[in-house]
Amino acid sequence: MPEKREIEINSRADTIGLMDLDVRPYPVTPPPTYEQVKPIYERRKALEFCNWAEDNLRFEKRYEKDEALTGYRILDIGLWRLGHKFCASLYGEAGSEVVSIEPPGGDPLRKLTPFGRDEYLLQNKDSGEKCGMEFVNETVNTHCVTLDVETAEGQEIFRKMAANVDVLLDGMPPGYMDNLGIGYRQLKEINPRMVYVWVGMLGQWGPWKDKQSKFGQWMIEPFASAANSWIHNTGLAQDLLPRGKGGDPTRAGIWLADYVAGAQAFLNSISALYWRDELGGTGQMIEVTGAEALMDILDFDITWYGFNSSIKARTGGWDACLNQYAWNPCKDGYMMIGGQTDKLWYNIGFCLERDDTQFGRLIHEDPLLKEMAARNALHSLIKTYTLTTRWLRDTNRVEAETKLLEYQVAAGPVLYIDEVCEFPHFKYRPWVYVHETDYGPLLIASSPASYQLRAPFRCKWMGRDIGFDNYEIYLKWTGMGQTAVNAMKQKGVI
Amino acid sequence: MAQDPRVTRMEDLPGPKSKGEMDEFKMPYEEYCKKLFDVGNEHTKPKPLNGIRWLSCTMYIFTPHAVANLAELGAEVIKLEIPRMGEPMRHTSPFNEVYLYPFHDARPMTGTGLGYTNANPNKYFVTMDYHIPEMREVFYSLVKKSDGLTELYRPGTLDKWKMSYRYLSEINPRFIYVWGGGFGYGPKVFGGSYDILGQAHAGLASITGMHEYMGGHCSKCTNWIIDWQSGTLISCAIMSAIHHRRKTGLGTMIEFSQVQVPTRMLGHTTTMYGKFGIVRQRWGNWDTQLAVHGIILCGKSDFPDADNPQDKHDARYVMVSAFQDQDFKELCDITGLKELYDKYKVYKDRVEGEAQLEIYTALEKWAADKSRSQVAKILTDAGILAEPVRNDREVYESQHYRERGTVRWMDDPIFGDMVVHGGYSTGLMEKSPRRINWHWRPLGADNKKIYRDLLGVPLTKIEEWYKKAYI
Amino acid sequence: MCDIIWCKKEVGGKPCDTINYLDPYCFWNWEGKINCAECGTVYYIHMIQGFMYKGPEEKPGEKPDTSPLYADKPYDGYSNYRPGVEGRTRPFQCIPRAKLLGVADKVKFSIRGRPVRGWRPQPPSAGLAGSFGFNWDIQKLSPEVWEEYQKKLAAGEVKDW
Repeated sequence: MPEKREIEINSRADTIGLMDLDVRPYPVTPPPTYEQVKPIYERRKALEFCNWAEDNLRFEKRYEKDEALTGYRILDIGLWRLGHKFCASLYGEAGSEVVSIEPPGGDPLRKLTPFGRDEYLLQNKDSGEKCGMEFVNETVNTHCVTLDVETAEGQEIFRKMAANVDVLLDGMPPGYMDNLGIGYRQLKEINPRMVYVWVGMLGQWGPWKDKQSKFGQWMIEPFASAANSWIHNTGLAQDLLPRGKGGDPTRAGIWLADYVAGAQAFLNSISALYWRDELGGTGQMIEVTGAEALMDILDFDITWYGFNSSIKARTGGWDACLNQYAWNPCKDGYMMIGGQTDKLWYNIGFCLERDDTQFGRLIHEDPLLKEMAARNALHSLIKTYTLTTRWLRDTNRVEAETKLLEYQVAAGPVLYIDEVCEFPHFKYRPWVYVHETDYGPLLIASSPASYQLRAPFRCKWMGRDIGFDNYEIYLKWTGMGQTAVNAMKQKGVI
Repeated sequence: MAQDPRVTRMEDLPGPKSKGEMDEFKMPYEEYCKKLFDVGNEHTKPKPLNGIRWLSCTMYIFTPHAVANLAELGAEVIKLEIPRMGEPMRHTSPFNEVYLYPFHDARPMTGTGLGYTNANPNKYFVTMDYHIPEMREVFYSLVKKSDGLTELYRPGTLDKWKMSYRYLSEINPRFIYVWGGGFGYGPKVFGGSYDILGQAHAGLASITGMHEYMGGHCSKCTNWIIDWQSGTLISCAIMSAIHHRRKTGLGTMIEFSQVQVPTRMLGHTTTMYGKFGIVRQRWGNWDTQLAVHGIILCGKSDFPDADNPQDKHDARYVMVSAFQDQDFKELCDITGLKELYDKYKVYKDRVEGEAQLEIYTALEKWAADKSRSQVAKILTDAGILAEPVRNDREVYESQHYRERGTVRWMDDPIFGDMVVHGGYSTGLMEKSPRRINWHWRPLGADNKKIYRDLLGVPLTKIEEWYKKAYI
Repeated sequence: MCDIIWCKKEVGGKPCDTINYLDPYCFWNWEGKINCAECGTVYYIHMIQGFMYKGPEEKPGEKPDTSPLYADKPYDGYSNYRPGVEGRTRPFQCIPRAKLLGVADKVKFSIRGRPVRGWRPQPPSAGLAGSFGFNWDIQKLSPEVWEEYQKKLAAGEVKDW
């Protein structure tokens, strides 16, 4: 326990530092121990298998294992957006050598901070340089170099670097690189084995291609989510909440399309590398957009329109395809309950009618609700969720989860980030953990691909000062010594 | 290269080598891209994952999509389903309205619901009750011929059936075994999972929706984002494992939990809690790090007389973005809100919560007598970024997606005329593109193809298994 | 009583016995008057965090502020009022088409007029153990739809998009 001290808080600035990890250690309550988890494994007679899984897949063993994609060189250039950065981070987590190019002034994303508050910028412990948290989180295992590709010398250096890369990630506006003479059609001459991936919002060609404002401002998320009906589909109906107060189409809280596009950019390019290396292919150009990558996973929606002119409507915390499958308000927040097949559907009923006999009666007796598919009709959803919420109203999230899990129903609370971080399963795996970075210890999310027998993904470092890796990378990738690099710095090229 | 090093040949020199290439260099960039991707001819080009064969004991969206990605990229995927029943997702359809037939000859009144779409293209559909001992050897013979398997049963289930990685790696050491589920080892190991659980459990829901003080509630992304995105991330892990196997010759086991995926995508949320103790809240249609960069409600619908309620009532939202100083100034000029510009000249000031509230309220007031397209036009004409929030019909009718081939009609071999908006839209690839052959097939449609043609089971035996409901 | 109103009003010598469902998001925090979908009795309710803080209190002669979305009668074989029955239930506008069916929409042609297999029953057409080939012989299996399709083609009702 840290010692008690007198503090005076007059402004928000006075609170900074009071909550840091050395003052308020993470986790607040210790994670469950193996001894506590073992009986859970035993109850289902799966102890032997679960022990095998713990021995072989545990997160803590990731560093002693091999890395999957060593030997591949990835060059990444782009500003503002997370799509190409998430893709670069995936390559980095898988063990490739990733270099990210920023202009000498740095990526403007480095300056973004919640509500514009400087006090939430992270500060590098060695250099004192500050950087926004969003940027740090999406530059995992990435080397940061600076280069002004708008200068002739910068282009020359860029060409040298591109000559030996396996993947080039282009997160610049449409045609920007081509105009500078360092786009795909020029570079494929010097590196025909290169997989060139453009990652953007709507496209580098076509009637709705990415635009810039007349002052050069870029399109960034959620423009992509707005262009494919994702936002139109999300949110509560105006029939349930007034418009303007939540009964509206709603964007996701994150820059969602960037993450989806980043993952598909990784998948497409690594498949292209497989074709190149295993099946005798060559390099190629790939174009991934947030709008379209998100449209790929728009469930069945456009197919549905082609079937009978249906335009999907938003359904809030409910789902038009499955019942039960929703979250609804409960005593201390929101509780998610899911169980669609007859077995699980009646299990939910059996659980709820222990506390509320009327639930079982009104739900299980109703002939309309006896067939699985018919339960998805709108009026069935209204009836089911009204009665479920009547139970939830008297039940808090922990009670609800405990009771429903006894009936093997998939159930989970809507958690806020503090609760997420303290959730026992999250701490045990761990899915969030404290990583020592150049910005001091940071609480971060682990990579979901970290739980593998042979070559798990891992975070080694995140975030870098602007141009931190200039000397190392220019030496190794172009043969430029420090004197040459310094000379370029003088000219403002690096 | 020429045999004689003293000879200089034109084709060895850098630069364009023919008139065609010369033209290519002179072409406007957009035209060049269009020519490069050659939309519509995907099937005539090589498949990037040609030769990979993958088994799938999957249900719902998450794990099927993990394999569907491979099938679109050209792998041969064999999906094993429960005889007569099929997997649960075949029985889901929006509001119980959309089904395609046949499902299976034994059930003429049952269809496959549209919920099955996009997670199962190009797969071969086989029925097999793999948990009975009679089918174990048959299952093993598939394992011997395949590169990997994706499954989603609660941990230990396939181990009891002697089908876990521990057993299969002895039959086929190159085998890549993927478990995809909710939680994995740990205290909630047997907890079931769905997309919505991931959205709820891992923090995404807590920051999506209108703010509590504005009367809002947490909102789900109506589309099953965490299922789909986790599926794609599994495909990423599979491809990495395949690359690793090229070096080592060894398979692996991947345990992938979808419930952690949203947390990985929360950006600064986790870090901000750890370092500053701040619990991020919902911020509706605005952005916590940029202003102006949000969606505003306009007074009038673009289609007040439309029959469809989505057109009629909801074509009212515009995404407006003017977060750089000059853009913001222009926005304030065009909307007559100059005093807001004077007040919030600096990025830092505009992004503060109270400022955002004031700015967006003023913008919505300005838009109260305008339609969505009027607002978008006024702002776009002024050189500012603004786009309507589109619905499914507008996506279907968009020339953009049609030209790029990411929304297209397909003559499905069994089900007929259907729109495709998946697969091609994951990304255009110049030389080894993805492709869609069929949306899905009836239950057990490829039994003969796989059991006889691949495994050499006599037809009489297949008939016998079928009668016993083994397959 | 909480987020249902089980109306017990005597109507014609019998209790009304209709359950009016107060859907969770709309009524989670709500104050006002709501009618019974069956007998029209107006009730005042005040709900805070899902709890019926006040009510339901009968308000004879007053106009309701809103109606329930759904109501049913358990003693009458669960006969019900679905959303949008005028004067009884509230309309639900945020839906994908002007009118929802709630059952399979048996479509024979896609929106551009080409056959799609959206109707049942289909004639059996599987081979061994449920196998299918890679075509749909519509002319043989569903000659009536084939004929309709020929007519559509002739009438120019089959479009590219």
